Amino acid sequence: MKFGIFYELSVPRPWDRESERTVYERALEQVRLADELGFDQVWAVEHHFLEEYSHCSAPEVFLTACAAQTKRIRIGHGIVVCVPQFNHPVRIAERAAVLDIISGGRLEMGTGRSATWTELAGFRANPDDTKKTWDEIVRELPKMWTQERYSHEGQAFSMPARAILPKPYQKPHPPMWVAVTSPGTEIDAADRGLGSLGLTFGGFAEQERKINEYRRRIKVCEPVGEIVNEQVNTVNFLFCHQDDEYGVATGRRLSGTFGYLAGQLVSAREAFPSRSYPSMGLLPQLRPEAAGPDEGPRVPEGICIGNPDRLIETIKGWESIGVDRINFLLNAMETVPQEEVLASMRLFARDVMPKFERAPATPRAAVTAAGAD
Amino acid sequence: MPLTGTLDVGTLLSRAPAMPDFDTEPLELHNVELLQLSFEIDDTAMTALLPPALHPTVPPLALLSMMHAPESPYGAFTLAQVRAGARSAALPRGFLLGAWCDSEKAAQALAARWGYNARVADVRLRRYHDRITGTVSADGADALRMSLADPEPISGADVQYVVSVHLATGADGKPALVQVDPAYTFHRAERGRPSLEQFDAAAWHADGMRPAWPVAATFTTVDLTLPQIRFVLDPSQPAVTGTRRLR
Repeated sequence: MKFGIFYELSVPRPWDRESERTVYERALEQVRLADELGFDQVWAVEHHFLEEYSHCSAPEVFLTACAAQTKRIRIGHGIVVCVPQFNHPVRIAERAAVLDIISGGRLEMGTGRSATWTELAGFRANPDDTKKTWDEIVRELPKMWTQERYSHEGQAFSMPARAILPKPYQKPHPPMWVAVTSPGTEIDAADRGLGSLGLTFGGFAEQERKINEYRRRIKVCEPVGEIVNEQVNTVNFLFCHQDDEYGVATGRRLSGTFGYLAGQLVSAREAFPSRSYPSMGLLPQLRPEAAGPDEGPRVPEGICIGNPDRLIETIKGWESIGVDRINFLLNAMETVPQEEVLASMRLFARDVMPKFERAPATPRAAVTAAGAD
Repeated sequence: MPLTGTLDVGTLLSRAPAMPDFDTEPLELHNVELLQLSFEIDDTAMTALLPPALHPTVPPLALLSMMHAPESPYGAFTLAQVRAGARSAALPRGFLLGAWCDSEKAAQALAARWGYNARVADVRLRRYHDRITGTVSADGADALRMSLADPEPISGADVQYVVSVHLATGADGKPALVQVDPAYTFHRAERGRPSLEQFDAAAWHADGMRPAWPVAATFTTVDLTLPQIRFVLDPSQPAVTGTRRLR
């Protein structure tokens, strides 16, 4: 089991010139601590126009700062929106390669397609097309990274032969992932030899079904790249405190705030009927969390909030169904004071992490060359 | 926290339907035709259109819809509505701003049982092979002319209708937001290009609502059940604290 942290970088109103800077600086302080404590990975999302919920529109810049201020932690660029109106595929490949070089070969490359009308319409992207453009782009990125000169004629983009430079530091290329929220995306991940970057909170049974299907399908995959990244990564909240009651209460405030914010987003499906978006992704899972503190169980299944013993038991549950990595959201809207976030990380590293067998930070153990056993 | 509505509901009470109780029975309507267009609207009015209980969507949305029920206890009727996209706490909602109905009998029943503030006008929903049109003519002027162009079949499973909240007054005379969440069984669904030829915001109590970017247009045939009222909200409080469950 590996542990990581991930960032949406939510910024509460009212906004002044220091609001965003404060959130970014606190996040960087957490990343430096995570590196010292032995967390394995830090991820940052790409979102645009999502007021308060995420001011993380240039994650490659934030992650470059993370890479420059750390020595060991792996750098999760994801998910990068693989929709041409958001990012030209060549720019995705170029930025990722530079980030891999700057970080000394620590890049993990997450891919996806956006799930909100707010973002898709902001870039005038057609929701009907995003699954197709993601598929095309995710197949092309490894070629851009590995071929000396690259050309392409496709639906999402076309280009004459050019040398796409620089090349990634990791050879043949960084491990690749896809965000798994909509039903069936775990199959997309498996069939392409991609890591499953589960953007779901809680719920063992549904996750176990998805993971089993993922493991079964990836055995016969046709990888898009030159390596198969058979790993299951999932997302969770983290607030760890010696006082279980306080830990649960604070953790619920964190998860509730995040869910409330997520609920404000206009999903692609809500606005635009399309077969391309059969579900609302993350949102329905989060909305019950926002229903109010008096509803539902005291600690929703699978959520990592409370004292170390509770967290160990919860993470054992995730481990037992086949999860390889858990990435933690540490804060939302700065609802948890920074000192408490840092203390939670320290306590987790001291009392919880040692209870789990940890693979090395490099992904070699889980990444196999395409075609290898 | 997210932006909240700033609408003073006191200014609206004169037009809010009086509901003698919130204990209405469900009403099943069969083979109902539903045309809905949505637009992003100018953000200058995004909070002014909503009561403090609701958050505006980001981006702010207008939901323009028309339903034709060929049969009901009140006879056939066609109802047109304009709603503002919203969130009740974290849940998607549409706040009803104005409605028109072509049947006085139906309008009275819809107002008393579910809080539709419908006035009587000439409301027409027409289907052609190349488009579906909806028009509302009131007081000698067009309050709305809209159309869905180039309809193409889609699955009803891909269509999501947002639950409504309607401003009404209860037996105690106090304002209340009544949640109306119909159930739908889809028989047919189409999607096309939304087009708005005429929109008189004042006719819909939607001053400041300026549809800007088209979002989507759907036309469906459904069986629709207007439900029992399950939730009522205090318009002046956040929904998290101001929601009352009736059943």
